[in-house]
Amino acid sequence: MTRVEFLALPPVTDSENLHPSVQDPGPVTRNAGPDDVREGYASLVRAAASGDRGAMEQLLVRAQEVAYRVSLLVCGHTEDAEDVMQDALLKTYQYVGRIEDPGAFRTWLYRIVRNACLMKRRRRVGEPVRHVSIEQGGEDEARPVDVEDRSRRADEQLIDVWIGDRLRRALDKLSPSHRAIVVLREIEGLSTKEVAAITQLSEANVKTRLHRARAILRQQLEDL
Amino acid sequence: MTSPKGTECASVLAQIEAYVDGELGALQCSAIEQHCEQCERCAAIVHGLRRTIGLCQEIGRAPLPPSVSQLARDQVRRLLESSHDSPLGRKAT
Repeated sequence: MTRVEFLALPPVTDSENLHPSVQDPGPVTRNAGPDDVREGYASLVRAAASGDRGAMEQLLVRAQEVAYRVSLLVCGHTEDAEDVMQDALLKTYQYVGRIEDPGAFRTWLYRIVRNACLMKRRRRVGEPVRHVSIEQGGEDEARPVDVEDRSRRADEQLIDVWIGDRLRRALDKLSPSHRAIVVLREIEGLSTKEVAAITQLSEANVKTRLHRARAILRQQLEDL
Repeated sequence: MTSPKGTECASVLAQIEAYVDGELGALQCSAIEQHCEQCERCAAIVHGLRRTIGLCQEIGRAPLPPSVSQLARDQVRRLLESSHDSPLGRKAT
């Protein structure tokens, strides 16, 4: 059986439910650089493509976790995040058998997740801006809470429990495109080059947007 | 007219992101650190930037809600059980 290197990949929290061939990676080095993480994914892809069921399970779980995290943080809808998860699951499964460059998998994964998020966002054009009901005062406070408000608040509460309400509110102050850059670069730990490849922006443009986003976040976190 | 200190601050601020991202050489880092020892404003910006980035990195380390991880595992299991013409099957032959 192919030995799977679990370099720098986040742990699966309940690995005993996975296939017995999956070895628990143990403590994970989250301080590893983008190259280590990319190689970790590449190792899983190679093992999965060679028929290692455990590696396939690990890869599919991790692809979904990436999809959920990115989608929820960028778009803020749990329902959409679950759809994006499923999309990542199916596309990863289909892709693994045909992959030519395992080293490019990670970038590819984030690109399909980003594209799925964009599709979701386009479908929601015209809906009220996310999280407004909690932040706004005045007239909006007098507005009856409808089903959409309750759904939105439930999403916010879930995100607050997960990442903390201060950071969630700070992220909300960013435009979706700036938020996506922050999520990919700071939270997911991708390199500027990888973010540029995923977003189809130049590296200089990524740096400019990241600079702007960091300044807004820093200001928001100081003010909160 | 810009003061020497103002010029120095502008130079430091222009490099601050590269500094916190670890993209500068030892000499440049040392120059920024020396400036920050004398300049509270620049020191506060460096501190705030590092704190912001650190908070973001913590999110990446935070485990997803257990229900989400369970959903991910359940979906994998269902997919693998229901797929007869799978990439694994083709590779295994």
